[in-house]
Amino acid sequence: MALQGPEELGEQVEEPEDLDDQDASSISPAEEITMPSGPGGDDEPEEALLLPWDRFSAWLHCICVVGFDLELGQAVEVIYPHHSKLSEKEKTSICYLSFPDSNSGCLGDTQFCFRFRQGSNRKSSLGVFLETTDRDAPPCLKREQGHYYGYVYFRQVRDKSLKRGYFQKSLVLISKLPYVTFFHSLLKIMAPEYFEKQEPCLEAACNDMDRWPTPHPGRILTLPIMGVVIKVRIPTSYDKPGTSQLVQSAQSDSQVSIVLPTIHEVDLFRCFYPVFFHIQMLWELVLLGEALVVMAPSPAESSDTVLALVSCISPLRYSSDFRPYFTIHDSEFKEYTTRTQAPPSVILGVTNPFFAKTLQHWPHIIRIGDMKQAGEMAKQMKVKKLKNLKTLDSKPGVYTAYKPYLNRDEDIIKQLQKGVQQKRPSAAQNAILRRYFLELTQSFIIPLERYVASLMPLQKSISPWKSPPQLRAFISQDFMKTLEKAGPQLTSRLKGDWIGLYRNFLKSPNFDGWFRNRRREMTQKLEALHLEALCEEDLQQRVQMHSEVETVDLVLKLKDKLTQAEREQLPVRPGTVAKLRAHIDAVILALPEDLQGILHKPSTP
Amino acid sequence: MALRELKVCLLGDTGVGKSSIVWRFVEDSFDPNINPTIGASFMTKTVQYQNELHKFLIWDTAGQERFRALAPMYYRGSAAAIIVYDITKEESFTTLKNWVKELRQHGPPNIVVAIAGNKCDLSDAREVLEKDAKDYADSIHAIFVETSAKNAININEVFIEISKRIPLAESAGGTSGKAFKLGRQASESRRTCC
Repeated sequence: MALQGPEELGEQVEEPEDLDDQDASSISPAEEITMPSGPGGDDEPEEALLLPWDRFSAWLHCICVVGFDLELGQAVEVIYPHHSKLSEKEKTSICYLSFPDSNSGCLGDTQFCFRFRQGSNRKSSLGVFLETTDRDAPPCLKREQGHYYGYVYFRQVRDKSLKRGYFQKSLVLISKLPYVTFFHSLLKIMAPEYFEKQEPCLEAACNDMDRWPTPHPGRILTLPIMGVVIKVRIPTSYDKPGTSQLVQSAQSDSQVSIVLPTIHEVDLFRCFYPVFFHIQMLWELVLLGEALVVMAPSPAESSDTVLALVSCISPLRYSSDFRPYFTIHDSEFKEYTTRTQAPPSVILGVTNPFFAKTLQHWPHIIRIGDMKQAGEMAKQMKVKKLKNLKTLDSKPGVYTAYKPYLNRDEDIIKQLQKGVQQKRPSAAQNAILRRYFLELTQSFIIPLERYVASLMPLQKSISPWKSPPQLRAFISQDFMKTLEKAGPQLTSRLKGDWIGLYRNFLKSPNFDGWFRNRRREMTQKLEALHLEALCEEDLQQRVQMHSEVETVDLVLKLKDKLTQAEREQLPVRPGTVAKLRAHIDAVILALPEDLQGILHKPSTP
Repeated sequence: MALRELKVCLLGDTGVGKSSIVWRFVEDSFDPNINPTIGASFMTKTVQYQNELHKFLIWDTAGQERFRALAPMYYRGSAAAIIVYDITKEESFTTLKNWVKELRQHGPPNIVVAIAGNKCDLSDAREVLEKDAKDYADSIHAIFVETSAKNAININEVFIEISKRIPLAESAGGTSGKAFKLGRQASESRRTCC
């Protein structure tokens, strides 16, 4: 069952606007012949208004080159485009986070990602436009609000001509978009060329990106970059979860065009392989927003594992902070490692052995060994006691005192183990694991969706002449009562203390984030229904029955409604806004001329 | 009908009219005050050739020297290269010969080469004789045309000639009844520069 809006489950209100042509699963590149051929590739009316660098900014904040200076240490050498703004604090974060910690070898090329807090409140002139493009994205793929992602391509090779004996440099993409797989693929094309050909290369790449269509969910985007065309589709929140979107055509040449089947999914099986006996417990820990730290030998492994953890509760959005790669130089280092308070609800990925000591008091620690020796199967079935974790040399595994609420699903473990023995392809193992997590999360969330949908007031309680009715309050006990008959037992055969899991979840930031999002959607839906009801009324007749003062009041109220509908992009039926506008004009025309002059003035925002 | 993506790059000196040729081909328009290209610009156009659709993925490269080193990204994987010179600038024809050399050394082995002598509307100021260019093109088995992006002369023709010389899709060749065309394709490809 798809996790869609509450409208899906509730019977009180009608279906929202129809969502056809959104279902674009499995489109072969050969089918999209009709793509516009212009330089932008996508000439939506709203996109025609974009200024130079707007399209680039819709994808990236900037590109940084971080190098090593013998006197200064790590330094941002280049920021491109040159007009992009980064505070000193942000630059410092980027410097430290773009290099592996000193003692993790990482010879050759390494890719990883980090996430850091946005230093100053930077208002984008594109704000409203980006919000609209973001509206249809699934919760876990929406643009970040207070954080940036840094996607890193780090190269370290021996070079005797350099004083340090090594060439060490990172090309880093700074973005608010969580499209991990996409940006890593992009860097694979850009970075090796950049290291050879320097700045003209960045200039060309940025110029390419500035002609890209904006990241609009649901469309197939053709993104030319440095001689190659990347084709992607950003999922929408209406997609059936678990369906792959694009299929690579058989005879395509990677020097000509590349089709990315996903923009954000990481290989869950590969990431969880070292700890895969504990996947279900890890799912609980992430769901409940427990403080978690991943100790890994390299930033690539730490960031992959943290991203896998965060995505294992998809389509739920992980609402707390997470840092795929976190260092002792991080501006939040003190805040997150203090012993004076309980560890915060965050997931950190670290490589510096110093953390084994600093975070010793953390309740849940995942230790990942060198994944290169992954040929050997993780043997430790048992969860390790925390007191056994002292040094970096501790064995891989999960160190925690946590007792899972749900009984362990032995079937999935057996299925995956069998896959390993039979040498099942990693992609297939990943698909199995992904589906397992998806079903588990959906079984968990459906009762909540159903209950929240029941908080929606009845359609008949919406009156055009009263303010829209309020959503009823979420009452935990009431929700718990629904579990008896309509709990997860309907969709999951897993036994255990589901009630306990829900009780804890309701206290977690993930519930808070999820519920806030739902409430906003439902409130907007109510506003939209109210607006539609208003538009159906015979306003002329009403105006005749009321005084001038009341009519003026009505005009002002209608104008407010109009502004709101436009600003919040209320999900109204097509034509409603135009209808409202016509109503306003008609009512104004019925007033004396002196008032008409005043009311016709466009309202200033 | 099968759709094939064909990567095509345009190479040549700065200001010879590469972008104008592409604009004329894709948009059928001409702007005398076009800005110099940065890196490369990308456009597509799909045309029908026999019973195939050829979708040209056109990379129109910058002619400026500082972008010179980026060229391999654009000719890598290209099915065809259009090398453009300006018939009113002898020097641009010399640059063209260097591009041919570079493609021969580093380009894809079967790349179809087309030579376009642009700005043929300015024949009063001509510096490169049509015959000289034609002889050179023949010597390297390249397509040759004089073009004018401004007056829309021979622009579509360049791409039609390219379509003609593109070998048929290999994957279809073995199973379908197109075997007789494969023979021709072999001789065609020998006529390209490399």
